[in-house]
Amino acid sequence: MKIDPEKCIACLECVDFCPMKCIAEQDDVVSIDQDECVDCGVCLHAGVCPTDALYMPEESMQYPRAIRAQFSDPGVWHPSTNQGGRGTEEMKTNDVTGRFRRGEYGMALEFGRPGTGARMSDLEKVLQALIRMDVELEHDNAVFAFLEEPLTGKVKPEFRNEKVLSAILEFKIREEQLEEIVRQLRPVLAEVDTVVSWGLASRFAEDGTLPVRARLEALGVPTRPNAKINMGMGRPIVEP
Amino acid sequence: MSHALHRHGTVEQLQNDYTFYARASRYVNREGCGPKLRKILSIALEEKNLVNYGSSQAGKSFKAGLKPDEYAATLDKAYGVAGCFSDKEAVRSLLKKLKEAETGISIVISGLIDEIVKIARDLDLKPHTAFLSLGVHGKRSLLPEDEVQQVTTMCGHGMVSSKLTKVVMERVKAGKMTPEKGAHLLAQPCPCGIFNTDRCEAILKELKENSPAGAKS
Repeated sequence: MKIDPEKCIACLECVDFCPMKCIAEQDDVVSIDQDECVDCGVCLHAGVCPTDALYMPEESMQYPRAIRAQFSDPGVWHPSTNQGGRGTEEMKTNDVTGRFRRGEYGMALEFGRPGTGARMSDLEKVLQALIRMDVELEHDNAVFAFLEEPLTGKVKPEFRNEKVLSAILEFKIREEQLEEIVRQLRPVLAEVDTVVSWGLASRFAEDGTLPVRARLEALGVPTRPNAKINMGMGRPIVEP
Repeated sequence: MSHALHRHGTVEQLQNDYTFYARASRYVNREGCGPKLRKILSIALEEKNLVNYGSSQAGKSFKAGLKPDEYAATLDKAYGVAGCFSDKEAVRSLLKKLKEAETGISIVISGLIDEIVKIARDLDLKPHTAFLSLGVHGKRSLLPEDEVQQVTTMCGHGMVSSKLTKVVMERVKAGKMTPEKGAHLLAQPCPCGIFNTDRCEAILKELKENSPAGAKS
């Protein structure tokens, strides 16, 4: 995002809307720190600029910078996945896709949430650790289009410094791996230079309970009283 | 929307916060799902305690001016319908009607686990999969105060800034803005409509009442 200095009247109405706190006034000129801006478009969509000085510049739509908006503005779709947002369908459609079966857990590590943003390079240490662990990485996540191939755990050099509102690493483990994965991941996550929200997807047992909650408690992993729950109402076919 | 599991708060603070998301799968039932999504939207709109709704395809939420017809018109090119409620009985009513409608589209409810499971049992539904938060890791020193996180994590894509939240909180505490107006303003950046203005208003009211200025009034 940029501000047209010819139009800006320095009213500062847009400043507080920026999730990355990167709009500032200096010497009576309001500008956006281009290195920190994630091109989420919140300032523009807020509709608070009285002179229409905010705009998305051409360079924000060209690679490598284009990935900022793709990972930050949910209205911008990823060309590689043909959908918006930052994750996959994960457990949202698990009742029709069977992505996570009994005996498996899904995991998601969202870098930069809540509220801090992430450089693509922030993913590397954790991704390299995941590659060493015996986990099944989710290749349908939009992040994969920007990783070195064959998979080394490195982001392609031209995208390493791109800042995004958040990016997610998703993977699947076997139930019996839980304790070991948690033990190995905790110290790696502690070294990340931004915040990381960690989620775990688990099937309900036949009796409607979630046995994984007790296992997490035993591991000393604090879980919340709330969760996202697939209600099991999906069916494979939609009639025309 | 992958973030709805991380909505911040205690059991008490989350009593009035439930989101729903109807989601078609690109691998299974997304093709031609528009009419089913419109049916689901019409069912959700019947609920008088529907607080907010919206979508990134529409580009805005009900609280930012999205009209039902405008939303419905986007659903042939979309794959989901989202919204939020401030009470669990509205969730129960929604799920009952969706069960009868048999749309075949996956339904996701976010909120207090035990309450959602109880509703499912009452309606003879079998919850399929849960997505649990294992907390926030990494450089936690960057995180704002708890009450700010309670507000900002209500947007599934992180579009509500902590700075705006703090500014609104200060204005409300100083009596320069009503909690209702503050909640409405904070809902504007969240296009998916799962920002719960009822809960936000309650948070702001409590802050005002506990502030020195609020205590005097």
